[in-house]
Amino acid sequence: MISFSNVFKRYPGEMDALQDINIEISTGELVFVTGPSGAGKSTLLKLISAIEKPTSGSIIFENLNLAELKNKDMPFLRRKFGMIFQDHKLLYDRNCFENVVLPLEINDINPTDSARRVRAALNKVGLLNKEKVSPISLSGGEQQRLAIARAIVSRPSILIADEPTGNLDKGYADEIMNIFYSFQQVGVTVIVSCHELPISPIKFKQIHLINGKLTQPEDNVPLLT
Amino acid sequence: MFPYLHNHFQAFIRGLIRIKSNIGSSIIMFIVIGISLCLPSAGYLIVENVRQISTKVQHEAEISIFLKKDITQEQISFIDSALKNSSEIKKIHFEPKLLAWEKLQAKLKLTTLDIGASENPLPDGFFITLNTLSNVKINGLIDSLKVVDGVDNIVVDGSWIKKLRAIIFMIKIGLFSLGGLLVIVLIVIISNTIRLQTLTFQEEILVSKLIGATNSFIHRPFMYTGLIYGLGGSLVTISILKAMVITFNRAAERFEYILGNTITLKDLPVTDYTIIIFAAMFIGLFASFFAARQSIKKLEKSN
Repeated sequence: MISFSNVFKRYPGEMDALQDINIEISTGELVFVTGPSGAGKSTLLKLISAIEKPTSGSIIFENLNLAELKNKDMPFLRRKFGMIFQDHKLLYDRNCFENVVLPLEINDINPTDSARRVRAALNKVGLLNKEKVSPISLSGGEQQRLAIARAIVSRPSILIADEPTGNLDKGYADEIMNIFYSFQQVGVTVIVSCHELPISPIKFKQIHLINGKLTQPEDNVPLLT
Repeated sequence: MFPYLHNHFQAFIRGLIRIKSNIGSSIIMFIVIGISLCLPSAGYLIVENVRQISTKVQHEAEISIFLKKDITQEQISFIDSALKNSSEIKKIHFEPKLLAWEKLQAKLKLTTLDIGASENPLPDGFFITLNTLSNVKINGLIDSLKVVDGVDNIVVDGSWIKKLRAIIFMIKIGLFSLGGLLVIVLIVIISNTIRLQTLTFQEEILVSKLIGATNSFIHRPFMYTGLIYGLGGSLVTISILKAMVITFNRAAERFEYILGNTITLKDLPVTDYTIIIFAAMFIGLFASFFAARQSIKKLEKSN
């Protein structure tokens, strides 16, 4: 489904953020991208989600080489992914419903369908009773769940989460991870970056990065199992 | 199609919400746009009125030939036949001094005693309409008439209308130039306001981009904001112009007895007001599109 071949990414005036990355991610896989800060985890996720383009190499997704994608086509590709960020990136001048409906407005979904799908997504993350509430009044865990609702509302085939539990205590973090596991169970590809490998009840693949290079994890979990 | 229109409606509502959330500065923006558009529009209103008056008053040049008081009937007949033979003359009207005097008295509702005149002070006169507006031909005719025995004075009545039309034309050019400059000023003001708004909504823009929004989707609420600024500004302009016309006409009515005539300022036609509205909306739309596009490009580069 997603294939990286000899991918390098260098930001102007900096060292290589990613070096010679070769990975394959199949449909419906649960993938953890692990590594310390500055290892290149976020860069890898940005390349997958077409937020950034590689400096060299190819990234193939649905027979498209993302490296050669034109800028005008990038927004349409991004709609295929559900993105979740560590800092949630919620809009605090809109209520929960309005935050979640945004991807559907971007996708030109009709208002009746949108309302139904937003409520289903909020229900899935346990926030249906807070649709009129401003995100600012939600707890950290609830805000992250709201961000997940926004990511899943457009029914993406891939969920990409950049350190989604980084700012949460263990109870909330487990709650969030359980939501991801439930999506993987229904065939959604889930790619999650985190500092340390969480305890997963289901089979997963680990991509471990150090200084922008693919590395064998210290805890001897096989690379790209 | 319906979701697309719904999307535009949503963007329009967002534009309205943004205006409402900064209602103070939005009202100031309406007034700034309104006054800026009012300056050339008011000038146009006045010029149009003057132009219409000049059109009604006269289309042709006229010459008044005043004859000497002691002129004989033979001399008058000679002048009359000379005028009839001139190719530049379209129409001749002779006004005997007695008739002119009666007309003047009737118009002013005066008697001889009122003005203290013991005899008719007016001369006999020929009033001729020319079939040319050429200065060379008119001056040639005047020169030939001046030397005719019995002619006292010649007044060209039509030359002022030519001058007035030339002045109106020059004022119109001036107004168009002023209008052009003010349009540039408006574009700068609206662009700057929209640019500041893009900074306020920076987070929303970035999030929208991350989840797949196209630039046109992001531009839309800003463009509707600009459009509403233009619409609001044009309504202020129209209100000022209407108030100007009403105030002027009321004042003119009060002075009717002094002026002896009613001078009314004719309001602009609906088509002109429609043009003002659409022009202002277009200026707002263009300025906001330009500003939003530039700001979003900068935001993309800085992130």
